[in-house]
Amino acid sequence: MKIAVMQFPGTNCEHETLVAVKAVGMDGEIFRWNRSAGELSSFDGYFIPGGFSYQDRVRAGAIASKEPVLEALREEAARGKPIIGICNGFQILVEAGLLPGTGKIDMALAQNVMVSKGQIVRRGYYCDWINLRHEAPSRRCSGSFLIEKGALMRIPIAHGEGNLVTTTPGMMQKLNDEAQVVFRYCDKNGRVINEFPVNVNGSTESIAAICNPEGNVLGMMPHPERSFFAWQLPAFDPKKQRPDEPGPGRRVFESMKHYIEVSA
Amino acid sequence: MSQEINLRVWLKIPDAEAATVKNTLVRRMGFADLLADVKKERLFSIKVDSGDLQELAGAFARELVNENKESHKVLIDELKFEEGYVPVKVALKIEDGEAISTKERLRSRLGFKNVVDVKKAIIWKLYISGMDPELRAKEIAEGLLINPHKDTYEILGK
Repeated sequence: MKIAVMQFPGTNCEHETLVAVKAVGMDGEIFRWNRSAGELSSFDGYFIPGGFSYQDRVRAGAIASKEPVLEALREEAARGKPIIGICNGFQILVEAGLLPGTGKIDMALAQNVMVSKGQIVRRGYYCDWINLRHEAPSRRCSGSFLIEKGALMRIPIAHGEGNLVTTTPGMMQKLNDEAQVVFRYCDKNGRVINEFPVNVNGSTESIAAICNPEGNVLGMMPHPERSFFAWQLPAFDPKKQRPDEPGPGRRVFESMKHYIEVSA
Repeated sequence: MSQEINLRVWLKIPDAEAATVKNTLVRRMGFADLLADVKKERLFSIKVDSGDLQELAGAFARELVNENKESHKVLIDELKFEEGYVPVKVALKIEDGEAISTKERLRSRLGFKNVVDVKKAIIWKLYISGMDPELRAKEIAEGLLINPHKDTYEILGK
């Protein structure tokens, strides 16, 4: 089982992602954007990690989405192989039309606008440990295949453009009706409160992650590779004292592995 | 009645973002035979309700332009560009936090109480050869320069 961890100029989480891939028993390698795109077909799954591909020039993900490797990933997605985009990877998948999966640009991950009590209290880049609630049924999506609906995860975010907006009529309804909303931001008790600091970036309906209609392509703003091991957790989390235990982000990687196994 | 001061700002050094846009359009999007050059500017459109416009424009430029690395041009109640380039104005459709912050700072920190509005935009100047450059500019804007869910664009006259 071989995973390609995509690397564009400006990607900055590829090594952590590869460590996580290998730690759950998958093989993998970093795949540079300028390798022959045709080589991608020999892999079983793909991660597009976070960072600032092409320095976020024009807007986050826009330039990387035009690279030939994205066209190859589109073909692999059509074959049902799993693709997980994390943070900048999510932005690239949206700009490439792979998410929400209609083949065209049907949404944007716009600049963060944090709202509380009707007032804008903050804008722009933000990093913190946040809580997620899993919204989709288990087995719905490649990256949350093993996660029960309603499960909570503490996981870090770090981005300036994660505010999901769409002007496509009916898109939000479709995402909800077809269980394409995979994670929402929530408080520590699992309550979704559509304002800052629970909704960390102003995202419509507090959405943190979506998948395509088939479920094999997932985009998520939070970073599971940065909470893969318990020792990565923040100092205030008691689980940090048990460094041999897995962190919450591990379930995303285990899910992809299991998804590939059952899809084979 | 308010009047508008347009402040065009561009880098003195080569603009890496413009170079990336040109490279992507030429190498990835099929514009190799049509696109000769891409330049980028920032545009501040500042509405004021009183004061000497030339004097205000100079003061705004001193605050908003870093002369070590940027050049600028002031235009009062008009927006003109050089011959040969098709100017494409891209602005946020959603709220522009940077424009709001600029207005707040000009008014509250720097004392320009006559500032009533600030808008920001990016101007992409496209040097396009062949037939119907404005149609090509539209294709470039919609294909790369904007995401229609958060941006708007306008092809400006020269």
